[in-house]
Amino acid sequence: MSPVLARRFAVRSVTILVLLLVATVFIIPLFYMVLGSFKNPLEASAFNMALPKQWHAANYSAVIREGSLGRAFINSCLITALSCGLTVFLCSIASFILARKGSRSAELLYYFFFLGSLAPMQVIPTIQILKVVNLYGTYASAILVYAALNLSFGCFLYTGYIKGVPRALDEAAMIEGASLFRIFFRILFPLLTPVNVTVSILIFLSTWNDINIPIYFLPTPAKWTMPLSVYGFFGRYSSDWNLVFADLTLTAIPVVVLYLAAQKYFVSGLTSGAVKQ
Amino acid sequence: MRATDRQYTYYWILPAFVLYAVLFVAPLVIGLYSSLTNWTMGSRMPTRFIGLGNFEFIFSDSELLHAIGDTFVYTIVVVIFKNLFGLILALILSTRLSGQMRVNNVFRTIFFVPAVISTVVLGVVFTRILHPLGLLNEFLKSIGLGFMAQNWLVNPRIVMLSIAGVSVWQWTGYHMTIYLAGIQSIPQDYFEAAVIDGAGVFQRLRKVTIPLLAASININLILALIGGLRGFSEVYVLTNGGPGTASQVLTTEVLSKFAQGRWGLGTALNTVLLVLVALICIPLLRQLRKQEIEE
Repeated sequence: MSPVLARRFAVRSVTILVLLLVATVFIIPLFYMVLGSFKNPLEASAFNMALPKQWHAANYSAVIREGSLGRAFINSCLITALSCGLTVFLCSIASFILARKGSRSAELLYYFFFLGSLAPMQVIPTIQILKVVNLYGTYASAILVYAALNLSFGCFLYTGYIKGVPRALDEAAMIEGASLFRIFFRILFPLLTPVNVTVSILIFLSTWNDINIPIYFLPTPAKWTMPLSVYGFFGRYSSDWNLVFADLTLTAIPVVVLYLAAQKYFVSGLTSGAVKQ
Repeated sequence: MRATDRQYTYYWILPAFVLYAVLFVAPLVIGLYSSLTNWTMGSRMPTRFIGLGNFEFIFSDSELLHAIGDTFVYTIVVVIFKNLFGLILALILSTRLSGQMRVNNVFRTIFFVPAVISTVVLGVVFTRILHPLGLLNEFLKSIGLGFMAQNWLVNPRIVMLSIAGVSVWQWTGYHMTIYLAGIQSIPQDYFEAAVIDGAGVFQRLRKVTIPLLAASININLILALIGGLRGFSEVYVLTNGGPGTASQVLTTEVLSKFAQGRWGLGTALNTVLLVLVALICIPLLRQLRKQEIEE
């Protein structure tokens, strides 16, 4: 091996070694959680990375029975899917106009929507308003609040994207006499797939993992989502660490599986929200 | 104004506008007003306009001042380390580690995983890892660094830094991914030209990579700043503001004031947070816009 190649080889080896160490730091907490979920209560309460003597898969069935995790899973799916669908629909049709109409008021409306991405939500007044319209504490309240919170960055991403789609497409269809409805749903919407995926993934992640909204807006535990019911479970069973770990693992699995399956979209989704394409 | 502008009707904006106005803007306005009142739940006293009374209270109450200080300490620590580690990992992963790019992708996948998992889940796991008898202290003892063992979440002097550490652990991979996308969008010729001109690794970094990453750095700073100032779940799960009130930040104080029924004060705290986020982030956003136009 020539000296240059030898040096390059040495540098690469050291770099990979360092990266392996860093990767260990990222993996160990997750590994610790999964291992703990298969232990018996005594093993799980000890602080070590030892393998369980016997693998207790029964911890999982116990958690699903007692922690009503099945219910929480359905709640999470329901709230995440509906708020995601609602946001995609509202943002895409609004941004269609915001991007195409050249007027000053359309521009002002755009900034009006954009401001929401900076301001934190005012919780108590929102609860008061929901009480007035008789929705407080319902699934609908959480879904609508999530949609209202996500409208801001949703319109931001959609408007930016639609501006990049040639307006000549719309105008050609207009000359043919197509209605606005037809133009949007038949011609434009299919072209919006990348931004639809981006917005859906961002909303899916932030909604699925959130506890802030359910804490304030869903006072009945029967309507809690997975992360919040984990927290309730943790409070009640904090002596049974095997069950707590099983509960945590079950909450993490859906997002991690989806991430590994659709990694490309996650990465491009999360970065296109941040980096100009 | 173009001839076809009239075809695009405002009605399509209406549903989004109504939802946003009713459930986001209206509460914001009501909140701004009620932060000027003594609104208290279940109180016999009628709600009264008290001007800046709540704000005078916030800036003279030692617990709340401490919470504002903690919010700043936490934010500064997470902004620095998420970006530093994220940038270093991105720079390493942007080089070719082996014949195939697969090795790079495996590392990228692993580093990003914590960012997709709920902070609540990770927080509960870290209460075990950072326990006085927990995994971290055991590990330090086993490699002969027992003197570095700490009561991570119990010692009031370091609890805020421990929480920040967990957040850095969770989000470094996210910031790394944004930096990596930024680095990969730099045309390869620039680096080649620098090599021909005889620039070393660090010179290339200083003169080519960093200046061309200005927009990525800016957006990463904004994201980390907002995440730090509005951070809630990590504090709520790891310590719930404790021990005592040692790790209270603005967002957890808002929750505890609301729980006490002191709604006027709680909304005033939220207003303080709003002003802080706006004051810090708007200048950065304006700069970002300028950078994008220059590109």
